[in-house]
Amino acid sequence: MIGVNEEKCTGCGLCLKSCPESKAITIENKIAVIDPDHCILCGVCVSACPEKAITIKRKAQTKDNSAFKDLWVFAEQGTDGKLKPVVFELISKGRELTAQLKEKLCVVLIGNKVNHLVEELADYGVEVVYIVDNSLCGPYSTDAFTTVLSILISRYKPNILLLGATHVGRDLAPSVAANLGLGLTADCTDLSINEDGLLLQTRPAFGGNVMADIICPDTRPQMATVRPNVMGATGLAKPSDIRVVKEEITINKKSIRTEILASLTDSKVESIDLEEARIIIAGGRGLLKDNYYLLEELAESLSGVVGCSRPLVEKGLMPKSRQVGQSGKTVSPDLYIACGISGAIQHLVGITNARFIIAINKDPEAPIFSLADIGIVGDVNLILPKVWESIKESRK
Amino acid sequence: MDFSINDEHKLIKESIREWCERYLTIERVREMDIKGHPFPDFIPKGLAELGVLLGTLPEEDGGSGLDWFTQALVAEEIGYADPTGTTLAACMAVMTGWGYTINKYATPRIKEEAVKPATKGEKFIGVATTEPGGGSDVAAFRSTGKKEGNEWILNGEKTFISGVEEALKWGGGYWVNVRTGPVVEGAHHKNMTAFYVPIDAKGVEPGEPYRDAGRNALSTSGFRMENVRVPADYMFGQEGKGFYYTMEGFDNARLLIAAGTVGATNRILDEAMAYIKERKVFGRPLAKFEGIQFELVELYHELEAMRLVAYKTAWMQDQRYQKKMFKPTEVAKWISMGKWKAPQLAVAAASKAMHWLGAAGYSDEYLFEMAWRGLMSYCVGAEGGANIQKLVIGREILGKDFIPYK
Amino acid sequence: MTRLIVCVKQVPDTSEVEMDKKTGTIIREGVPSILNPFCEFALHEALRLKDKMGGTVCAITMGPPQAEDALKKCLAIGADEAILLTDPAFAGSDTYATAYTLAQAIKRMGEFDLVFCGQQAIDGDTAQVGPELARLLDIPQLTYIESIEQIEAGGALCKQETDSGYQRVRSRIPALIACLPTPDFEPRIPNVRDVMKAKRKTISTWNKEDIGGAAAVFGLVGSPTQVIKVYSPPKREQGILIQVSPGEAAAKIVDILKGRGVIG
Repeated sequence: MIGVNEEKCTGCGLCLKSCPESKAITIENKIAVIDPDHCILCGVCVSACPEKAITIKRKAQTKDNSAFKDLWVFAEQGTDGKLKPVVFELISKGRELTAQLKEKLCVVLIGNKVNHLVEELADYGVEVVYIVDNSLCGPYSTDAFTTVLSILISRYKPNILLLGATHVGRDLAPSVAANLGLGLTADCTDLSINEDGLLLQTRPAFGGNVMADIICPDTRPQMATVRPNVMGATGLAKPSDIRVVKEEITINKKSIRTEILASLTDSKVESIDLEEARIIIAGGRGLLKDNYYLLEELAESLSGVVGCSRPLVEKGLMPKSRQVGQSGKTVSPDLYIACGISGAIQHLVGITNARFIIAINKDPEAPIFSLADIGIVGDVNLILPKVWESIKESRK
Repeated sequence: MDFSINDEHKLIKESIREWCERYLTIERVREMDIKGHPFPDFIPKGLAELGVLLGTLPEEDGGSGLDWFTQALVAEEIGYADPTGTTLAACMAVMTGWGYTINKYATPRIKEEAVKPATKGEKFIGVATTEPGGGSDVAAFRSTGKKEGNEWILNGEKTFISGVEEALKWGGGYWVNVRTGPVVEGAHHKNMTAFYVPIDAKGVEPGEPYRDAGRNALSTSGFRMENVRVPADYMFGQEGKGFYYTMEGFDNARLLIAAGTVGATNRILDEAMAYIKERKVFGRPLAKFEGIQFELVELYHELEAMRLVAYKTAWMQDQRYQKKMFKPTEVAKWISMGKWKAPQLAVAAASKAMHWLGAAGYSDEYLFEMAWRGLMSYCVGAEGGANIQKLVIGREILGKDFIPYK
Repeated sequence: MTRLIVCVKQVPDTSEVEMDKKTGTIIREGVPSILNPFCEFALHEALRLKDKMGGTVCAITMGPPQAEDALKKCLAIGADEAILLTDPAFAGSDTYATAYTLAQAIKRMGEFDLVFCGQQAIDGDTAQVGPELARLLDIPQLTYIESIEQIEAGGALCKQETDSGYQRVRSRIPALIACLPTPDFEPRIPNVRDVMKAKRKTISTWNKEDIGGAAAVFGLVGSPTQVIKVYSPPKREQGILIQVSPGEAAAKIVDILKGRGVIG
């Protein structure tokens, strides 16, 4: 399975350094020795070896998958009934991939009274839309959606299936994958087609410290969830002709084993979606409570969303839905303004995908500055009011 | 021979460290140093919840049945978290070290009234041996006890006692030695009897706390006893045996101090190393200067040596209690080696660190100055000063004929 | 009697990871292993439920032999029993193969009421094993659960986080609950009495023969996905650090906002 080519191995020890299992690799007489009882075959050493001396043998691809064609995007709807922004991002990416594969770009629309949503899709070059409109498909439930999506897959045999890495996407995708015995890659930040025509799925792991390229050679469709906001959404000048395929699927009401009793979100403040936000103004411990209104004001005038670091949630000063970081949301906005956030590692892993970061903090040693594109050393409580004044001024 | 600590020890150390990182942070320690006594009661309560306050007591008496080795590991972690030695003094040396001896010789009544609440961190228990006439010479004491019916009447004065204010605040009391018979010429330690004296007993008059150099969060003061009446079942063990019990009490407190000050030294060196690796002078980090690096190496080497002494001592105490493998005097020699050297080393490390850091090290920006002030208490006294430990060691290695004071 | 199963994972403490300054690769060697914080919260929720309704809590993990440490921690925190699934054949499992292995073991354990797991692990962040396991056990799943409020005849009542807030949901039982730590969650610190008690609790070790199942679905060969390359992310360009007066700093920020077209 895993082997070391002793001729190539120089005993440099880089494999040992990279190995997450303390007992798996030892260097004996200048040769790396791998203990199969402790090796978890994660493959990190294979990539770390500068001599390409370590290899993992896998079973050869045996299945004929030529019957599987087309790329599907799961069209998730938000609580407002509209399609989520990530759907258009996936479609835009899918257009690129299907052009390469010479396959069709399709959308799966499952829900209750969703036929009208098809119109929006033409601007993005979608060719086929599979619709399952069923009163038992709204609101979302794992059981109903898993059944419907599994049946559609079995009937139409797609090659690739993409979902947004949202709460629903991350709930549904693994359920479907396990149901059909499929491979699934979570939280991708990039997708491409490799030389064998396979979907190359790139995702961060280890708190964003490493990237992994993953393929799914045998099972079809190749499934991935993709982080919102990482891939752009671009429309077409000329709308496409869409073929609509309406599918009737009978769902047994009893097979839905969970139910939503009540929404616990009442204020509009809480009903924001950090993961989809383009601009985030986030507050941390360094920001005085009296200045929280500035976050709101700035967010509103910049069409952004307010986020925060964990301490503010811990102290009950901000709702959990605004927390950015490991136990909160992973965000990828175009602009992230960190106001008085020092940048504990747990916070930083949530913002590594932000495209531009402005950080304001008193402490020049604050870890947030290691990620910031512009770091401003100073008191956020003095700076932020001036930013707000100046924006108000320029609006006049 | 096996020098490794087992999985349970690791988990226990981890628990204590986690608790300290959450509740006994260095900021908290600084705050305690500035605010001064009384000692915050969340600490004994928290440690009690973890099962490590009076941890060596049997479970039926409210302890966790820990061996001394495990309790020493706990003390080490506590010394690491609070390198001023204040928590070490209050919760380990006094309450836990002495608590074991108190419980061992306690009547059911003392256990019920004082020890059990102490295991929950709800009451303070401690020891009062030092008198205005002297501390090091434990046998030279003047307090007296006279029997009257089913009661004892105690008179005398105790001074430099840890935790009087805390005992007054939380409730609790002391192990108090008094003379219950005539002075025996050449054997002053005879006729010493130990009693439990609640701090709020009638006739106990607490004095004003001293303004100590360090360890500010734990009060040190004294109390006078004027015709304090205690019931007969407040007597520890047998009449006239107090001296021997007291020596055993010292042993357990001292061994935890050795382990705890090893922890403190470890913390001091960790913090100092972080500084000298970062701080640059003449274009290179302080740690690159041999003058500093070699001093660090010397301290580090002594730290590891003392850790081995502290661990071995705790292990020996366990063998003594569990298997009667060592003579008490043999264990006492090792205990005194730890109690003498480990605090000296801790103070030396704090002092060196301050030299390395310069003005910053002397300020309250870093922990060194408060550690230095606090740890000095274990050199000058606190369960026997440095020279007393040397007397014990000398007596053991040279023999009784060479005891200097005889 | 209520029987609760908690699936846990031992992970490298990602907050302790350091980068090799020369090569830019992360150094995993010497990084301490910890119980995944999400799993620790799941265990905490299971124990809370046990305190309320009685029953037993069993912790289960799949991993190399040293994953036993995570189980020891679980026992010290209060789990009643623990099972370690370890076999060289399990190595290289992706989320599907992991879920399959766990499912085989849980089926062997007999009846249960709830299976708990962490919403995700801090090393992989996939959040897939829970739902995959639920499907393989053919039980309903509730993901992103912050608290289990009640277990009643109709099922388990939980508070669930959504993309935009919270909702109250109910699931029939047995079910799988994927737990998301609340912000105020502080892991229980095991006390020494529990640690000593844990010493007397047993950790069963099961290999692939013990749990049965199809050999082709375990480990590397049973994993539909393949990691073909692991590498460091492209380095973020070193930013600029400025220290100016508040007025100048504000002006700088406004300039950036204008430059990026955020404001006119």
